[in-house]
Amino acid sequence: MAKKLMKGSEAIGEAAIQAGCKLFFGYPITPQNEIPEYMSHRLPQIGGTFVQAESEVAASNMIYGAAGSGERVFTSSSSPGISLMQEGISYIAGSELPVVLVNIMRAGPGLGGILPSQADYFQATKGGGHGDYRLLVLAPWSVQEAADLIQDAFDLADFYRNPVMILGDGLIGQMMEPVEFHPDRKPCKELKPKEWAATGCKGDRPTNIINSLFLDPAALERHNHKLQAKYEAMARDEIRCAEYGTEEPYDVLIVAYGTVARVCVTALEDLKEAGIRAAMVRPITLFPFPYAQVRAASEKAKAVLVVELSCGQMVEDVRLAVEGTRPVHFYGRQGGMLVTPEEVVDEIRRLLTVPQLEADHA
Amino acid sequence: MSPGCRGALKTRTKGKWVSHHDVQSCSQHGPSRVSIQGLFSRRVTIVAGHFGSGKTEITLNAAVRLAREGQAVSLVDLDVVKPYFRSRSARELLRLSGVELVAPMGEYYSSDLPIILPQIRQRLLDRTRRVFMDAGGDDTGARVVGSLTDVIPPAESEFLLVLNFRRPFTLDVDSAVTMAREIEATGRMRLTGLLSNTHLMGETTGEVVREGFRLAAETARRLGLPLLAVAVEEGRDLGLSAEEFPCPILPITRIVKPPFEADREQRTVGPLFVVG
Repeated sequence: MAKKLMKGSEAIGEAAIQAGCKLFFGYPITPQNEIPEYMSHRLPQIGGTFVQAESEVAASNMIYGAAGSGERVFTSSSSPGISLMQEGISYIAGSELPVVLVNIMRAGPGLGGILPSQADYFQATKGGGHGDYRLLVLAPWSVQEAADLIQDAFDLADFYRNPVMILGDGLIGQMMEPVEFHPDRKPCKELKPKEWAATGCKGDRPTNIINSLFLDPAALERHNHKLQAKYEAMARDEIRCAEYGTEEPYDVLIVAYGTVARVCVTALEDLKEAGIRAAMVRPITLFPFPYAQVRAASEKAKAVLVVELSCGQMVEDVRLAVEGTRPVHFYGRQGGMLVTPEEVVDEIRRLLTVPQLEADHA
Repeated sequence: MSPGCRGALKTRTKGKWVSHHDVQSCSQHGPSRVSIQGLFSRRVTIVAGHFGSGKTEITLNAAVRLAREGQAVSLVDLDVVKPYFRSRSARELLRLSGVELVAPMGEYYSSDLPIILPQIRQRLLDRTRRVFMDAGGDDTGARVVGSLTDVIPPAESEFLLVLNFRRPFTLDVDSAVTMAREIEATGRMRLTGLLSNTHLMGETTGEVVREGFRLAAETARRLGLPLLAVAVEEGRDLGLSAEEFPCPILPITRIVKPPFEADREQRTVGPLFVVG
């Protein structure tokens, strides 16, 4: 298939369709309006259904209901809209339903602004709704990777019967890059028929019930243990991250995800020219977080710098990974302001002049 | 080149040269790199096209070049469709080049609200100024143009459509023709010309440009409009020669870019990272 020039939002929409998704329920919000726009244009062409819900609360309950039928279901929103969806997301996780959610993050809190942000990391990875549940969270750094991860997200959601979230900053939704789709793509997991789906049994099998209500405490505890076992399986089998420059010796390890990691890759080139040795780990799965990979890479460095478009959220997972064995510094911008490569270089220069580190460096 | 001059448009299809004698376009003096003055010869230039067609880049390039030659130029950012990567993103470059940017400022600079500034009408009526209008995405964006037709002087204006055949909603001639008709309907103005700007950003090849030109020429023929130029990113060696195209090549420099471009010079004039 010839490459097209696509906005991240369009590529996400097309990737969902290529993954066999025919159902979209959502409500528009900047900076991801082009996802519902694209789906509203394309789904009728392929016999699918697009519903603009009356609110994000309604949309999250529509995906809950539709996912119960076993169809591939998809919604997208941006930060304030994702907050509104939390009730439905908790129910979906509790009912063990596969849905794919996209959050194209904008700056908050509250209505905030419409420019890019990564300040929903906690909400995505630690559970924005109530109860002990987790989303599998994937963070693309390019339009092509967003398209690829959406297709994987549908397979992972079906495999684990768990909601999967694509977490992108506003740039992922808005920037344009060449994209290629592979119609002959194979699923990334071996998928079984959805025998749990509520499709109407006409009396030929026991009734399937989609439910997150367990009034018997022992049954609810068992249900929680079952969910936890899934999250442990994800942590064992689904971790994805990429490393940059870790094969060479380095003094500083950068940890960044999404488009911020692209800024940091540019910074790595500038640092190399300046004779400063640095490398980067880019988590692609944010839950499960690549604790072991970050820990291993940090052991070759004298210090770690986490760069985010937030006041510091992923930095907490990096500190858990490093367990106090290295100083973990943070640099971030907020409000829709972006990190530039120059800022990353300056920050690394600054932390290399911290006395303790300088002594180690010498 | 003189716009509207009649010449045979030749396109290369499967190794053969095909002529479309009914297409009004291109230069009598043979293909060349076109001058901005020649291409944008009227006082008011309105540039339309789907987001991603490249209209913002073409508008910025044209406005900056004319201003650097000493003309009084206003650039009206009419984009109420895209929240990022609009021509106002290049406000620092525009200021340094002497282009007056007409766009919401202050806290509304970063909004995606449908704000039509009163200054736009004043600039359109000011006969001493060259005015460029970047009309945002497709027919939705063109609606703003439609609201201004009472002050857009037809004899002094051109309404151009930028075409990128690697965008998902204009992958073929039929969809480009449909989009052109929709833009004319909601813009309440007839298009006066087309610009071929098929590209894949950093992955553009000569073949991508050639194929896009072929489709743009066919679109121009169907619409009965001149294909004014083929835009090509300056400084990229795509193996194209001016002789391949019967209409001029418009060299453009990409201006509005994300913050991770490796080219330092371009990073500093980019879009979002100059906010605030």
